[in-house]
Amino acid sequence: MASYRSIRDFDWPMFVLAVAICSMGVLQIFSATHDTKWGDAWWKQVMYIMVSIVIMWFATLIDYHTLLAQVPILYTASVVTLIATFLVGTKIFGSRRWIGYGSFKLQISEFVKLVIVLLVARYLTEIKTEQLELSDLFKLGGLVGVPMLLVMAQPDLGTALTYLPILVVGVFLAGLRWQHAAAIGVVIALILPLSYFFLKDYLLKDYQKARLVSFVNPSSDPKGSGYQVIQSQIAVGSGALWGRGVTRGSQTQNGFLPVPHTDFIFSAFAEEHGFVGVVVVLGLYFLLLMQIVQNAQMAPDRAGMYLCMGVAALLVFHVLVNVGMVVGRMPVTGIPLPLMSSGGSNTLSIFLMLGLVNNVRLRRFVN
Amino acid sequence: MEFDSTSRLRCLAWIVLGWVGLIVARLVQLQVFQHDTYKQLAMAQQERVLDIPAPRGPILDRTGDRLALSVPCDSVCVNPMRIPDLAMASEILAKILDLDQLKLYGQLRLYNDSRSGFMWVKRKVTDAEAERLRNLKLEWIEFRTESKRVYAYGSLGAHVLGGVDFEEKGNGGVEQALDEELTGHAGSIRVTTDVKQRPYDSKLDTESIPGKTVRLTILARLQYIAERELKKAVEDHHCKSGSLVAMDPKTGEILALANYPTYDPNIRPRKGSDPTARENLAVTAPFEPGSVFKTITLTAALETTNLKPQTIIPCGNGSMTLFGRTIHDHNSYPSLPMEDVLARSSNIGAINVGLRVGDANMYEYVHRFGFGKRTGIQLPGESGGLLRPLKKWQKSSIGSIAMGHEVSVTSVQLAQACSVIANGGRLVHPKIVMSTKTDPPVQVLRPETAFTMRRMMEGVVIKPYGTGYKYAHIPGYTSAGKTGTAQIYDFKSHVYTHLYNASFMGFAPVTDPAVVVVVTVNGAAGTAGYGGPASAPAFREVAAAALRLLNVPQDKPDETPESTDDAEADENDVALVDLSPTVPEPPVFIGPKAPDFVGMTMRDVVQRSAGEGIPVDFAGRTGVVRSQIPAAGYPLPVGQRIRVQLGR
Repeated sequence: MASYRSIRDFDWPMFVLAVAICSMGVLQIFSATHDTKWGDAWWKQVMYIMVSIVIMWFATLIDYHTLLAQVPILYTASVVTLIATFLVGTKIFGSRRWIGYGSFKLQISEFVKLVIVLLVARYLTEIKTEQLELSDLFKLGGLVGVPMLLVMAQPDLGTALTYLPILVVGVFLAGLRWQHAAAIGVVIALILPLSYFFLKDYLLKDYQKARLVSFVNPSSDPKGSGYQVIQSQIAVGSGALWGRGVTRGSQTQNGFLPVPHTDFIFSAFAEEHGFVGVVVVLGLYFLLLMQIVQNAQMAPDRAGMYLCMGVAALLVFHVLVNVGMVVGRMPVTGIPLPLMSSGGSNTLSIFLMLGLVNNVRLRRFVN
Repeated sequence: MEFDSTSRLRCLAWIVLGWVGLIVARLVQLQVFQHDTYKQLAMAQQERVLDIPAPRGPILDRTGDRLALSVPCDSVCVNPMRIPDLAMASEILAKILDLDQLKLYGQLRLYNDSRSGFMWVKRKVTDAEAERLRNLKLEWIEFRTESKRVYAYGSLGAHVLGGVDFEEKGNGGVEQALDEELTGHAGSIRVTTDVKQRPYDSKLDTESIPGKTVRLTILARLQYIAERELKKAVEDHHCKSGSLVAMDPKTGEILALANYPTYDPNIRPRKGSDPTARENLAVTAPFEPGSVFKTITLTAALETTNLKPQTIIPCGNGSMTLFGRTIHDHNSYPSLPMEDVLARSSNIGAINVGLRVGDANMYEYVHRFGFGKRTGIQLPGESGGLLRPLKKWQKSSIGSIAMGHEVSVTSVQLAQACSVIANGGRLVHPKIVMSTKTDPPVQVLRPETAFTMRRMMEGVVIKPYGTGYKYAHIPGYTSAGKTGTAQIYDFKSHVYTHLYNASFMGFAPVTDPAVVVVVTVNGAAGTAGYGGPASAPAFREVAAAALRLLNVPQDKPDETPESTDDAEADENDVALVDLSPTVPEPPVFIGPKAPDFVGMTMRDVVQRSAGEGIPVDFAGRTGVVRSQIPAAGYPLPVGQRIRVQLGR
């Protein structure tokens, strides 16, 4: 394979955008935790980012076609590890999400995202028809559904739901008939509320039901399940136009805002940097997304396009669900804001995905 | 296919854009339009306004000695959200503070569940309890300093001081009457707290203003003697109650005001305890004055008729019939000079004088002496007594009123009336608080009338046949007064009982009286319960003490009291013999020694010093006594203050 790869072909704009978002995240992690027991979280995050960048670099070197060829092995390994996590994982806050030894712990479900992206890309590439048949849709749905159910069982509904947009965007672009798309939409629209009323006691945990109730009406339990939503909105609102300044947000600094360095980091950022800061960050995310979509359009083959769009779908979903939750427009699901929230597994998995996009870009002149 | 792929991408883009639009719209709403609302919400949950308590003002006697003061004491509260283990916490607190553990646990649970960061556990705990809790060094136990009212001398001046309720609001005496001045105005402080309601910043809102100091006209040392002598008078004559008022006739300042039975205002009234002990009888309980009122009758006669002290008044040989009622005198005289009508306290003589004075003049003078209306003394619940308006008088009323019936008066009113005679004819309203402005005195009698009356009242004391002879002599001073013995009217059976209100009102020295003392004991029986023997000795002791304490020069050679007490001891009952050893003070007064306060808490010091009657000055407000001046064991002259230094 005589491919020409140069350091100049690396997607520098995407890299710079990602690092810019990360640095804002680090700043906010520092501001929100500087005199709490997580005081060293910002430093840890810097380490995570640097390690992630290095790993991303190496991942870029491996041709994505090689990775696609290994999908069956990767998929099997993911399912096995998820089962293992479920059985022997470390329990934190009532759910088993982590596996590892000592202080080194990995959240497997974060890396499974990557495998799902690869799985969807390979499956859809291999169909080779103009239109996606329903049978294929169900087969692929089943393949994605297994790890999803395993993650839901941890329980971690939020992460499990992030697998869906990869599948949905994939099959939509692969030529799902408009009628089928509409039909599926209608069926889901009918099933969701019905199953909520009839099956909520079996499918959802109590705290999840409470979150849904307080999403609709936060003041029904302002000190319990509605607490996070209310406090988050107070923080965002009191940030006003220009923000209250770094380390000056009273909601962030005095513990009113729950987990201000992970899931609610955007809320803390909005309080301290105001609407102007929020627009800047959302603008950076938008540019990053555009860069990924551009790479998808320039992809050398369909597989590369599916990979990039899968990553884009995942990223958009993450950002919109997280910010939606922070401003009270989405129920509390507990998924992090990519690149900003503190957390090693999440940061690494996002950088790996960016590496995958880069990988596609670097090989765009192959044919 | 190419077209389709692009349109599908565009479709996805629109979905995402719609979603983004929703979120950005919300952000604009929150941060651009409604930020004030959310800032206020943030403020509301982050700020708390706390009171800075202001101490209640102390009450001093006229020399500046502290009778009532507020000392800081600890109240225990907790921040339920910081308690690591509610069950353990309730066990510890219940054990040390003697509370119901289950109830406490339930309370803590409730506060914790509702994310409340403050809960009172027990207020105004003892120093020992506070110390034990402090020693545990648990960070979730907090102390708030509140203040507690301490009456330094226990029951001394109880009825004047009154008392306070749990919130330090006056509920009797001066504490109630001057509650507004004494109450401090709490300041406030704005505290910013974090989510666990730990304060991290504060801003002073308003300063606290401590309550004003109230200085009484009471002389604590005289008050002590007054209470002691009144108690003796009441108990020796098996009476149920009594009151005593000592007053400066020129200024109206009350020097001592005592009632019996009394109480300790440091102790909160318990349910079922006798409420009469808290009654300030001298001010609130009017009674028929009896013979002391004859001074009013005779004064009116001097002012409105041509009767002179030497004018002979017919006394009907011991009985007279007036409008169908027959009145008797204990001793019968055909007639007496008017001065002896007073000295011998002849009822018939007084009635005849009264008839000369007439209804209208009699009413006018009773009124001029200040009867029938409140004196305006700053004590709650004052009664104005009873003086019927002239048109309601019956024909025989003049006879009754002339000898002190059909009217009712309080001891304070009697002191006010007696002062009119003592100070040369001016009606001076009594006052209990130094700074009060009373109405300017009104000249109600001609000065010479007052002078004549003083001489006539001296006769009661110095004439061998006077009703106050033997009892009201003050060594070294001239004195004057009038006895009164009124049968108590039983409102149930509508008859006069054989129990008496025995009273004595008098002043000393006669030429320039410095003190007026009125003593009344209620429920005395037999001749020993007459105004002379029952009340006059208390007058003598209290007036003597007052003159000594006020440094009034003696106006008579200091003769030995052989003519009074010795004579008494010969012929009278044993109870009076018991009196005599206490009358002269021991010649060599061995002063008390300074007690050892070192290591004691402020409260213990106050209690101990109050018990021993030693005034103490405190430096520092918390901890235990580190040093004291004078040191323990050193002699302590009367009135010498002990200065103690408190420290942790």
